[in-house]
Amino acid sequence: MNRVVVTGLGVVSSIGIGASAFWEHLLQGRSGFSPVESFDTSKYHVHLGGEVKGFSPEDYVSELDPASVGRSSLFAIAASRLALEDSELDLSSLDLSRAGVSAGTTSGEPNEIERFDDSRLAGELESAGPGILTRYPCHHIPAYVAAELGFGGRNIMLPAACAAGTYAISHAYDLLRSGKADLMLAGGADSFSRITYSGFAQLKAIAPERCQPFDLNRQGMIPAEGSAMLVLEPKDRAVARGARIYAEIAGYGLASDAYHMTGGHPEEEGSVRAMTHALRESGVAADEVSYISAHGTGTPTNDLHETRAVKMVFGEAAYRVPISSVKSMIGHTMGAASAIESAVCALAAYHDRIPPTMNLTDPDPECDLDYVPNEARDLRVDVAMNNAYAFGGVNASLVLRKFRG
Amino acid sequence: MSSVPRSVVITGVGVVSSLGDSPAGVHDALALGRYGFGPVSLFEVSGIDSPVVAEMSRFDPKVYMGTGNLRPLDRICQLTISAAHLALVASGWTQEMRVEHGVGLVLGTMFSGAGTIGRFDHIGISKGPRFVKPLDFANTVINAATGQASIWHHLRGINSTVATGSSSGLSAIAYATDLIRNGVASALVVGGAEELSLESLFGFHRAGLLSSSGAEGAVPFGAARDGLVLGEGAGLLVLEEREAAASRGANILAEVTGHASSFDVARGGCAERATASMSQAIDQALEDAGLTPNELDFVSASANGGRLADRCEGEAILQSLGESVPVTAIKSMLGETLGAGGPIQVIAALESLRTGLLPGIRGLTRVDEEIPLKGVSDRACEIEGCRALINSFGLDGNACAVVVERT
Repeated sequence: MNRVVVTGLGVVSSIGIGASAFWEHLLQGRSGFSPVESFDTSKYHVHLGGEVKGFSPEDYVSELDPASVGRSSLFAIAASRLALEDSELDLSSLDLSRAGVSAGTTSGEPNEIERFDDSRLAGELESAGPGILTRYPCHHIPAYVAAELGFGGRNIMLPAACAAGTYAISHAYDLLRSGKADLMLAGGADSFSRITYSGFAQLKAIAPERCQPFDLNRQGMIPAEGSAMLVLEPKDRAVARGARIYAEIAGYGLASDAYHMTGGHPEEEGSVRAMTHALRESGVAADEVSYISAHGTGTPTNDLHETRAVKMVFGEAAYRVPISSVKSMIGHTMGAASAIESAVCALAAYHDRIPPTMNLTDPDPECDLDYVPNEARDLRVDVAMNNAYAFGGVNASLVLRKFRG
Repeated sequence: MSSVPRSVVITGVGVVSSLGDSPAGVHDALALGRYGFGPVSLFEVSGIDSPVVAEMSRFDPKVYMGTGNLRPLDRICQLTISAAHLALVASGWTQEMRVEHGVGLVLGTMFSGAGTIGRFDHIGISKGPRFVKPLDFANTVINAATGQASIWHHLRGINSTVATGSSSGLSAIAYATDLIRNGVASALVVGGAEELSLESLFGFHRAGLLSSSGAEGAVPFGAARDGLVLGEGAGLLVLEEREAAASRGANILAEVTGHASSFDVARGGCAERATASMSQAIDQALEDAGLTPNELDFVSASANGGRLADRCEGEAILQSLGESVPVTAIKSMLGETLGAGGPIQVIAALESLRTGLLPGIRGLTRVDEEIPLKGVSDRACEIEGCRALINSFGLDGNACAVVVERT
């Protein structure tokens, strides 16, 4: 079995494009929220979103026609280009038939189905293009990334909703450790959508003013968009080329609640199993974990359930592990979220700094762990765990370790 | 992850299709050359003139789901749950056993619940965002059918959805096979599902991929083929690690001995490269199974009547396996069921191996001269042997091939 390391990071987010801008702004506690511009929110009771501004596809897409590709795919291509640049890989030295793409998403290209619906409602379906076939189905995201980059290896989309990024990274890790690929781009992407926004608005899950995970007055999440792609390589290849190694993938755990489509399990059944399994596979004891990147959406129920689950797995050690939610700054990027948060874990393990949970001013007595309120912290990060939970009762935990040769 | 690859076996299958819901019954219909193409009755068609589809117009979820609450479940969820029910019953996994052992679910789909997503959006824009229903919202995520089926059947293990376009279902089988081989899982319900929707039908129509003459044109490898007939259905299998299956006394139907996936970076823009990519998937699947081409007893082709895709696949079969291998193409009768297609091909192939009868390619009276396959026929023929290759190739990049061996 090969060991697998993270050697490049690409992020597209509302607080920065590129891993270093993103990381710098995350540590500063910047907010990426602004009034929604991509559709009219006057009929909604909420208006904020984490849209990506100032994104120019032509800066990243050279082989394909950007107009023929959906927005989530464009984000994924940009994040992939940025990650490859960050990795300083010389693509000409690689066998691209063994370079693959594994991606996750919640909604794929929801703007494409919206465009189709607009045509239908206007009675102009006859004039609608074939985008519902050539751009909409979610497998196009990794496929367009690979077509842009010439990657002929394994190409797969694992749409596991808001845990999809972790599913995609876990699969890439399996392909690399079993020798089925030499290089994988793995992560997730989603784009801002009135479908997603309407749904969460009806669930009364969107916060009107700020996202404040674990705060007593938290009112919900804020929908957002973006992408993160990670360059993953077998350790030996990365070391041989003198690559900068952010972190090593130590293991993962995936488990299903089989209980409720949109809510967690009352006894945290699946999330506990996912964490426990990830720790066991990684050969890491609970008290060795330095940092947890929370799913931390900011909804009343998620944050409470997540806190309980961490206590069940970590026992007394739960009070000593710093936990933070970057969703307090960038919102919930759906299928990109757990990929972005995996990148956060890799950056934390590399820089020995952890980002804060912003807007946490009034602690909830039932959420009584260390959530790194409002200020980034210097901390030696030997082991980082990323937790993600999703519609469908999906739970995923990923463990990354500081690279030690 | 264990270091010695483990053997992966099939211990039960379930299918719901336009040709019925029992593997033997579906296979009988295929061997007789039956098909059920007709107009759309499920939804109002706009933007397309009288399309012909392979619809499951008589599908009744209550047969498989009893008195359970069907209200939160859209069509693809019901198709998935029904086929999974049949597979679980056939494999002998009771609810208690499933909960105890943490059996997982891996589902391939191309369009997922596009019809539900479209209806949800339609209400939001026509009536206003305050009129959309939270119950429907749960089904707008692409993994909705996987989540709903895991809840219905108490599947607590890995819950993964796989999308690689029209090969999604066979890719799910390949993905699940690796999870078991690598020791990440020991028992999984795996396969694919697809519902007919205006969204998918319109997409294929607009791209010029639907047959303009229905059954007459949708003849795989046929000289006069002019496109596909879109269909729907679900096919699910129970995959298990061989020793664990044997120790619980399971009935082992077959082994998944090899698989491979390839990706064409030109995404169908160049016929030669598409053919090479498909040929690579076949070669590597055989290599993974440790077989030479002449040890294969037949091929279940992905071909659906598409002009270019069928030619590329035919050439790939010729290049990798030669002209005489027996080839069937059951989409001539079931239609192109996208994510459900590959798993239904596997289920039909197991029946062909069991009965020694290979369905013909319906309507294939004249083979395209550019695809000189000798092992094709419009009639069922007798075969001997135990090994089949299943192809699931999309023209937009992904090709997946799986080898199964009847035990």
